Amino acid sequence: MLKTRIIPCLDVIKNKVVKGVNFKNIRVMGNAVEMAKYYSLSGADELCMLDINASYQNRKTFIKTVESIAKVINIPLTVGGGVSNLSDITDLLNAGADKVSINSAAVKNPKLIRQASLRHGSQCIVVAIDGKRHKNKMKVVIKGGREITKNELITWAKKVQTLGAGEILMTSMDTDGVQNGFDSNMLKKVTSNVGIPVIASGGVGSLEHFYLGYLTKSTGLLAASVFHSRKYKIKTVKKYLSSKGVPVRL
Amino acid sequence: MKKKVIGLIDGQSGNIGSINKAIKDIIKGRPYRLKIIKGHFNYSSFDKIILPGQGAYATLMSNLKKLKIIKPLKEYLENNSSYLGICVGMQILSDWGYEDKITRGLGVISGDIKKFRNKKLIIPHMGWNTINLNNDDTIITNSFDKKDFYFVHSYIFQNIKKSNVLAFTHYGQKFPSIVKKGNIYGVQFHPEKSHKHGLNLIKNYILKS
Repeated sequence: MLKTRIIPCLDVIKNKVVKGVNFKNIRVMGNAVEMAKYYSLSGADELCMLDINASYQNRKTFIKTVESIAKVINIPLTVGGGVSNLSDITDLLNAGADKVSINSAAVKNPKLIRQASLRHGSQCIVVAIDGKRHKNKMKVVIKGGREITKNELITWAKKVQTLGAGEILMTSMDTDGVQNGFDSNMLKKVTSNVGIPVIASGGVGSLEHFYLGYLTKSTGLLAASVFHSRKYKIKTVKKYLSSKGVPVRL
Repeated sequence: MKKKVIGLIDGQSGNIGSINKAIKDIIKGRPYRLKIIKGHFNYSSFDKIILPGQGAYATLMSNLKKLKIIKPLKEYLENNSSYLGICVGMQILSDWGYEDKITRGLGVISGDIKKFRNKKLIIPHMGWNTINLNNDDTIITNSFDKKDFYFVHSYIFQNIKKSNVLAFTHYGQKFPSIVKKGNIYGVQFHPEKSHKHGLNLIKNYILKS
């Protein structure tokens, strides 16, 4: 039976894992390579890392960090943040990423999804979608939720699948960073409308939130703060989920 | 003592970094040598060959053809030499692949590579799933039975002889997750991404037999 994936997410600047709500009050949580190694050893099913300040100066160090992480872990690695064209994708795959996640660039230029999946295969192209409610509609947003696009969420999710995305990383900007749980309603809408794997992201604060995330039919559950702050170990989450009958890799 | 030579084929089908590193770690301090195969090779100069692959069947076959790897690889396999195919590297052992277009494979293990039958499944089959061994094997020993490995694929080995299926996995249906014919092995999952059990599998493949 396929297991539900527990995926710690590292928000990275250069080689440091940071935490900050909407780029404010950024706090260093640790060294990215050391944290990646720790999560790989302690039972993470996959690792996600995002360059949250993909400026020209920081990019080189970030890519070096991806290379170092790929060398010390032997679980799949998804890398995103600041991916704007095909050569960015190639650079990250060459650095050792197994999957590359595209967000704003896909919204601005949807053809990029098709080009990338034709070149590298759908299995390594993840489209990250940030969703937010706006005037009673679920919309796609970019720039950390500050810019609402004209795209309706479900239409966009279906479109990225058609264009060749192998997976959707779905973050609700209405619940992200608040630790009140995943946006079950938004996630269910997405999972019931696409046939590719969906990773739930944004809002985990308790063990029960992971279980509620599983109920949305998301096959991956992503979390950052609860792991970085050591509130929960990955094993703790998995044991809890297993006790609720959720298939996990123990 | 003469060193055994392991060939790792770079079929330009995804990254070979992880598997390359895994092999290097295993053979460190042992009488083995690793050679990356990027073009025509002399099939008799290798003791073991590993072919990792991602992406589409047709792409890997056409890459191997362009790189002039098909002919020596076929000769190598016809001699029942030791081989480990990973993901698409396993799939191309079949007669035909039905991904994108119908493509002729290496024809080593009879069968076809076709899509999962259940239309309601989430595709690709992505994540950790359990393998169930049909019998104990010198390389894939009983210790791997019921262990989880990382899978990413949408196509599976079909119309295969039972005797060539060493392990199977369930995802909407039962499908072969390890195939075997003589010294030729193929795994549908990615051992290089499958943490300790994956690394142990690669280790067994290299050190045993």
